[in-house]
Amino acid sequence: MTLQHCLLLAAAVFAIGVYGLITRRQAIGMLISLELLVNSANLALVAFAKHAGAPTQPLVLFVLAITVAEVAVGLALVMLFYRRYDDTLLDQANEARG
Amino acid sequence: MNALNDPIFLAAVALLAPIGAALLLVVLPFVRHRGAPAAGLCIFGSVLALAAAVKLLFVHHELGDARFAVTWISAVSKPIAEIGLFVDGTSSSMLAVVCLVALCVQVFSVAYMHDEPPRGYGRYFAYHAFFLFSMNAFVLAPNLLQAFAGWELVGLTSYLLIGFYFAKPSAAKAAVKAFWMTKLADMGFLFGLLWLFVATGGFEWTAKLDPTVAVGVTLLLFLAVVGKSAQFPLHIWLPDAMEGPTPVSALLHAATMVAAGVFLIVRADPLFVQAATTQTIMLWIGAFTAVFAACLALVQRDIKKVLAYSTCSQLGYMVAALGAGSAFAGYFHLGTHAFFKALLFLAAGSVIHAVHSNDLADMGGLRKKMPLTTLTFVIGALSLAGIPGLAGFFSKDLVLASLEGRFGWVPWGMLMFSAFLTAFYMGRVLCLAFFGNLSHKAEHAHEAPLSMSGPLIVLAVPSVVAGFFGSTLAHAVGGHYEAHFVGLTPIVASAMALAGLLASIAVYGRNRDARVAGAIEGLDRASAVDRLWELGYRRALLGVSSVLGWIDRYVIDGLMNFTGYTTIEAGAAVRGAQTGRMRHYLVAVVLGAVLVAVMGLVA
Amino acid sequence: MNHWLSLIVAAPAVAAALLLVLKNEQKLAIRLVSLVGATVSLVGSLVVAAQYDRALGGFQMLESFPLVPSYGIHLKLAVDGWGVALLLLTGIIIVTGVLASWSVPKRDKEFFLLLLVLVAGVFGVFVAQDLFVFFLFYEIAVLPMYLLIGIWGASHDVKAAGPFKYVWKRFAVGGKEYAAMKLTLMLLVGSAAVLVGMLILWNGSGARTFDMQVLENATFSRTAQMWAFPLFWLGFGSLAGVFPFHTWSPDGHASAPTAVSMLHAGVLMKLGAFGVMRIGMVLVPDAAEVWAPLVGTVAVINVLYGAFCAASQTDLKYIVAYSSVSHMGVVMLGAATLTPNGWNGAVYQMVAHGIMTGLFFALVGLVYERAHTRAIAKMGGFAHPMPAVAAFFTLACLSSLGLPGTAGFVAEFLVFVGAAQSEHWWWTIPGVLGAFVTAVYVLRACKSIFWGPAPKGEYAHLQDAQRTEWAAPLVLGSALVLFGFWPRFLLDSIDGASATFLSRVVTVASAPDMETNK
Repeated sequence: MTLQHCLLLAAAVFAIGVYGLITRRQAIGMLISLELLVNSANLALVAFAKHAGAPTQPLVLFVLAITVAEVAVGLALVMLFYRRYDDTLLDQANEARG
Repeated sequence: MNALNDPIFLAAVALLAPIGAALLLVVLPFVRHRGAPAAGLCIFGSVLALAAAVKLLFVHHELGDARFAVTWISAVSKPIAEIGLFVDGTSSSMLAVVCLVALCVQVFSVAYMHDEPPRGYGRYFAYHAFFLFSMNAFVLAPNLLQAFAGWELVGLTSYLLIGFYFAKPSAAKAAVKAFWMTKLADMGFLFGLLWLFVATGGFEWTAKLDPTVAVGVTLLLFLAVVGKSAQFPLHIWLPDAMEGPTPVSALLHAATMVAAGVFLIVRADPLFVQAATTQTIMLWIGAFTAVFAACLALVQRDIKKVLAYSTCSQLGYMVAALGAGSAFAGYFHLGTHAFFKALLFLAAGSVIHAVHSNDLADMGGLRKKMPLTTLTFVIGALSLAGIPGLAGFFSKDLVLASLEGRFGWVPWGMLMFSAFLTAFYMGRVLCLAFFGNLSHKAEHAHEAPLSMSGPLIVLAVPSVVAGFFGSTLAHAVGGHYEAHFVGLTPIVASAMALAGLLASIAVYGRNRDARVAGAIEGLDRASAVDRLWELGYRRALLGVSSVLGWIDRYVIDGLMNFTGYTTIEAGAAVRGAQTGRMRHYLVAVVLGAVLVAVMGLVA
Repeated sequence: MNHWLSLIVAAPAVAAALLLVLKNEQKLAIRLVSLVGATVSLVGSLVVAAQYDRALGGFQMLESFPLVPSYGIHLKLAVDGWGVALLLLTGIIIVTGVLASWSVPKRDKEFFLLLLVLVAGVFGVFVAQDLFVFFLFYEIAVLPMYLLIGIWGASHDVKAAGPFKYVWKRFAVGGKEYAAMKLTLMLLVGSAAVLVGMLILWNGSGARTFDMQVLENATFSRTAQMWAFPLFWLGFGSLAGVFPFHTWSPDGHASAPTAVSMLHAGVLMKLGAFGVMRIGMVLVPDAAEVWAPLVGTVAVINVLYGAFCAASQTDLKYIVAYSSVSHMGVVMLGAATLTPNGWNGAVYQMVAHGIMTGLFFALVGLVYERAHTRAIAKMGGFAHPMPAVAAFFTLACLSSLGLPGTAGFVAEFLVFVGAAQSEHWWWTIPGVLGAFVTAVYVLRACKSIFWGPAPKGEYAHLQDAQRTEWAAPLVLGSALVLFGFWPRFLLDSIDGASATFLSRVVTVASAPDMETNK
């Protein structure tokens, strides 16, 4: 398995994530898509470390930690959102409309 | 050296005693609010000042001039302005006159202002103490800058004193008007100072100037004098200033506020003699004011306004003499005028106090009720009219003599005519107020208490004899003078004075309501000069300001608002792009990323 | 090395931090903490004024801590002759300002907190010797004003009219929020210009430092100077009320609560003028000399235009606010003369006007609190119930019109002397005329508010100044007279700094082969 294979995989995961982010309307679905994005990046970082010798492993650990925090905050937001709208359809949240 | 023989020490006492009293009155409200102690403190300060001033006369006679100055402002570590004390013949004699008149006025006020509530009473004497300080600071000024400071402070205290009855709208208006008119003229003083400084690097009384600069500077200074000494056309504040308490009028008109203008020219004579053009202008303005104001004095019904216009007219004499290059004549007349005009105003105050009216029509026959006041007033009036032997005669004679032969005798003739008018209007006041039948209002009049008549007697003495000290004064200021009774000018002047008196007795002795000058009465009622200034103030100043105020609010600020408005509108135009839906933003982000990638690939 | 300067800057900031732990109900504690913080600064300023060696001159009491050394940023504090005078001014104004706001009606804690933060910024600007730190403090001083006016301010109606009438549909002209927003936006645009100018200097000096003393000795290319100076002039000038960027001032000062008006007109506008002189003219002297004729001409427009606008106002606070515009014109005029007298006068005018306008706003606030109106037409005879207020108001008027014996005279006189000595002597004409128009409008206001028959009805029982309200009139009033009779106390130190700075402007600018050397 070469670097190219890994990167292609990462790119595919990333694209799926973006697709999910754009098309999903439920907050949970979007969060999961977000996880795909982050993990695709992690995959790429690990691949670089393995094949190109880049010192990126610590970065992966950072990303993991931050992702955990992000999910925690994200889920909390979803909870709040649900309480307010009885639903998690994010399109309802358009208070920032110009 | 013994401190009492040190001219600087004495001058400092004369300067600091009144300000000490004033400061104490400011910081000790409980003294001020009690009234009587405030008067005591103020008078104590003035007595000290007068004692020092009199002692200074003798010390100066022995020791000559003295100067003391400290750096007040410096730039680049070099002094540019000094303040201090300057004692010479002119300042020491003026100082004594100022202190004497001020003290008389203050003592007179003790009884005159008696009905004032204690707070007002205290405030009145605090103003007086500060006034004396300002005037002394002006008189003792070692340079023009301090003179300017004293000059302005005198203007300030005049404003406060004229507006003393501030509850009366007319008094408030008169005070503000006096301040504005003099302030308008003071711009000339300030410009003169600036020009002088640029030309010579200092503010000295005796600077040597180029001919053009000399004319410019002196004309500017003279502009200030026109305002302060109420010369035509800036005289309009003076009659209105009669709104102040009568002793205040005595103070302002005799030796201080309006006299400051003439004193400034006397002091700055070394500058003025370098500018013949200015002197010519002074001569004509002085002569014109002397006649013009005397005409207006003929028709006034208010006793104080007669005296006010008379002051205007007499100041015209002084200015004319100064314009003729005879500084001593102007200064001499300033001195004698200080005594008899203070006397006249205080005596008038005594009358007003007795009959509770300013109107000549309410008076009449007062000689029966108030013999002492009548006697002193008559002395003052005769002195002012220039009856030979009294103080006014000598100084007026000297003024007239200085004009002999100038400009084809025209100014001389004008002043002679004015002398006739002076005697006439003073005769009128005598007839209407003191002689004839007792009027209704005068029935309950009674002679003033000693504290009021005392100052009258004190002032009556120099009003009679001051003329004989002309040569002493001349010696002190470094000139030469000899009184003479024979000659063209003294004889014509005496004839004019007598003719004026007799004419007025002939007219008003028979008919109190005689009208001699209907045309002038019309002129007075129309008060054309006053209206012109009023128009200038309302139309020009307030008009321009309301236009500019509108422009600032609606055009200049409007432009700022317009900028804000445009920004908001522009924002509104593009706000539709912000849907608030996260997915839309996300699509935009992805498309942007793709675009960047494509651009990278293409490049 | 002593730490008086950091103490002066830190005291209000520490007091502000202490306020955070207090509760809103502890009203007295909040006020006392603020008062102590302000007083420490005032005492510090007095000590600095006493310790400053006038004979030696220059920068003294230097303190320096590295902040971001890689970008040449140091927290460097030192005081020069100008700083001595302006620190003292700020100290006096903040102490009297705190005392004058003793009766602030709501959200006491936040009010005093913002006030103290603001003043810490002001103190910082006057002692900062590093452009970056200078700018930082400048912004700290400017921004709290938005909240102070927006929350504690007062609104008034402005009738819709004029060519830009349609903007009224977008915002309520005359409202306090409008005033706060306008003030903040205009000053921030100015700040942006200043920031650009600063970066030009940082880049142009080659030394990559914000240290002002290094920048003073650096030589900038003519192009850089010609760009930097107008940026500083208009940037700082917007805070100094330079025409036509003065329009935030009338609305802002009229809407602001008493202490805020005192501080803003009394001290903050001086930051602008100080910036123009200290940064604009001293750091880019070449361009300063080229631009000076325009600066001075705009300044005399300020003087005369501000005075005329003030004469047309019917609202007491607007009169005082426009008079600030006019008097700040005198400061800028003095600066533009590029003469020692003019510069001394300009800095002295900052002090004189600061004290005078502080006194004005304190008294106006006092009158407003009792009479609940600022329309002078509705007032009259107030000297009967409130004689002390009337007396002090008159004193402020007299200083405003430049009467000898008050600080205003010394300042205006020096500025006019400077103008007469400069190449543009005609500047004195509108300048002196402005002083006359000032006499017209202040005395008219004074007359219609305080003089006349004793008031009846609702105004019959107005009270004179009470307890803490005495502080501002007494302190500021006596300062006006003291500085009027004894100007050398401050002028000697100001003069030292002006001479040093000016020698730099004049020698550098008049070096004939400046261009060819490059």
